[in-house]
Amino acid sequence: MAPVFFFIAALGAIAGAIGVVVLRHPLYSVLSLVFHLLSLAALFLLLRAEFVAAAQVVVYAGAVMVLYVFVVAYVGGTQEPVDLPGGARARLLSFGVVGLLLVELLIATLGSGLSAVGEEGAAYEPGFGSPAQIGELLLTDFLLAFEVSSFLLLIAAVGAVVLARRRGGVDDGEVEGRISVAQLLAPEGLGSMAESVSGRSGVTDEPEGRG
Amino acid sequence: MTTVLAEVGFYEPVWIQILKALVIFAVGLQIVPIVLLAERKILGRFQQRYGPNRVGPFGALQPLADIGKLLWKEEFRPKTSIGFLFVLAPIISIITATATLAAVPFGNVVDIFGEPVGLYGIDVNIGILYVFAFGAIAFYGLVLGGWASGSKYSFLGAMRAAAQLISYEVAGGLAVVGVVMMAGSLSLTEIVEAQAADGMWFVVPQFVGFLVFLTAAFAETNRAPFDLAEADAELVGGYNTEYGGGGFATYFMAEYLNIVVLSAITATLFLGGWLLPFGIDPPTWVDPLVVIAKIGALSFFFIWIRATLPRLRYDQLMSFGWKILLPLATINTLVTAILVVVW
Repeated sequence: MAPVFFFIAALGAIAGAIGVVVLRHPLYSVLSLVFHLLSLAALFLLLRAEFVAAAQVVVYAGAVMVLYVFVVAYVGGTQEPVDLPGGARARLLSFGVVGLLLVELLIATLGSGLSAVGEEGAAYEPGFGSPAQIGELLLTDFLLAFEVSSFLLLIAAVGAVVLARRRGGVDDGEVEGRISVAQLLAPEGLGSMAESVSGRSGVTDEPEGRG
Repeated sequence: MTTVLAEVGFYEPVWIQILKALVIFAVGLQIVPIVLLAERKILGRFQQRYGPNRVGPFGALQPLADIGKLLWKEEFRPKTSIGFLFVLAPIISIITATATLAAVPFGNVVDIFGEPVGLYGIDVNIGILYVFAFGAIAFYGLVLGGWASGSKYSFLGAMRAAAQLISYEVAGGLAVVGVVMMAGSLSLTEIVEAQAADGMWFVVPQFVGFLVFLTAAFAETNRAPFDLAEADAELVGGYNTEYGGGGFATYFMAEYLNIVVLSAITATLFLGGWLLPFGIDPPTWVDPLVVIAKIGALSFFFIWIRATLPRLRYDQLMSFGWKILLPLATINTLVTAILVVVW
């Protein structure tokens, strides 16, 4: 069964990757990237890396690609296909670059990676790839890398907030709509339209019942 | 032969796995029309009316009549819709809902005809992450459905659903971390066993986590008071506006199946799964019935909330998710982490 699953998932991954490049509509490109990522998750499952597979689906297919879908559906939902500037020459050049990249990858894999792969594959020990083992490795051998990358994410998050504030995106226009626990627990007034417009404060400058 | 995709604690013969799949989905899918009918009946009572009582005894055949009506309707799709995505989207929704059902444990390993059989579809070591992974894919069912319909209302509903799902998934996921830390495992069966070992359901020490998870579950199933994605009064119907007949029935079924599944997951994580309170230890065959009873109780709670609370405004929904629920879940995780280490 495993070889069958492998070929299905591998073909899916390749087809998805080709689709990202070939398909003209941006949303279809994003969707085939999602398909590619799901196929990769299936390959991870075959390697008994359940945790990595789940992380792949939750983080990439579930969070990162959702953002892509958002942006494309909002902004790029146009019918006209994306056209490359530069025409035939740029296309020729891109094929050249891709060819060079392929040669480089082939040298890398044929030269080093493939020689390490035997007929039997790597030995499988029970518990390999389980969340427990990955957690242990992250907090012992790879502690520094783990902490540094978490700092990187923290910096990115803080940076995003700072940028949003500088453009006045976080505070402006949202002050009225802000609610607190106390307001949720203690409903004031009767929930009229005027109250909802004035941000649940109970201030009514127009008569009740008009809303 | 090694079955890698369904790695279980021990190896079960293929025929048992097939049988299990059939039984679990037969039972799981039978709960759906019951919840459906119960919702209409209970909503009726809440609103001082009878609810369905014409078809069959006590209106019990109403779900069957509804499904029949939907299936015999003409399949219609708007001219602006995108064919294959329009068909694919409800299928994604129903597949992810049923796939999650496989992870729900209805009991521990029991002997059936001399074979050890786990009363669950699969018991993967990533457990609860499996549920979240399929929750992540379910997002595409809603968004693609709304986008491929080629209609403004559908699109708005889909965007609302998407924003809501990602906002509340974060809080829900963080709420589960507390349970996972206390149990020391991601596996759903081991989480129930940890509750048996502690002699206490996790709802007691993890009460905040329970509330946050339940709220996130309401949001993830698009139920009132978080049913912004299908707010009839504003959006005509949301992401499923353009669906009729089979497509609509599929979305409808997926929604109610999600209620059942999330009730089951909540029961497993916080309410002791197949355990009974006060140390009552019934024979093993009672275990699935206990789980089903808990699913019923939580589904009733879902319906109760729907009948009681009005719909939130959209900005309230977002600020509630990000500014109250998420910090609450984070603090809960931190406190639990400290207490687990100290004790």
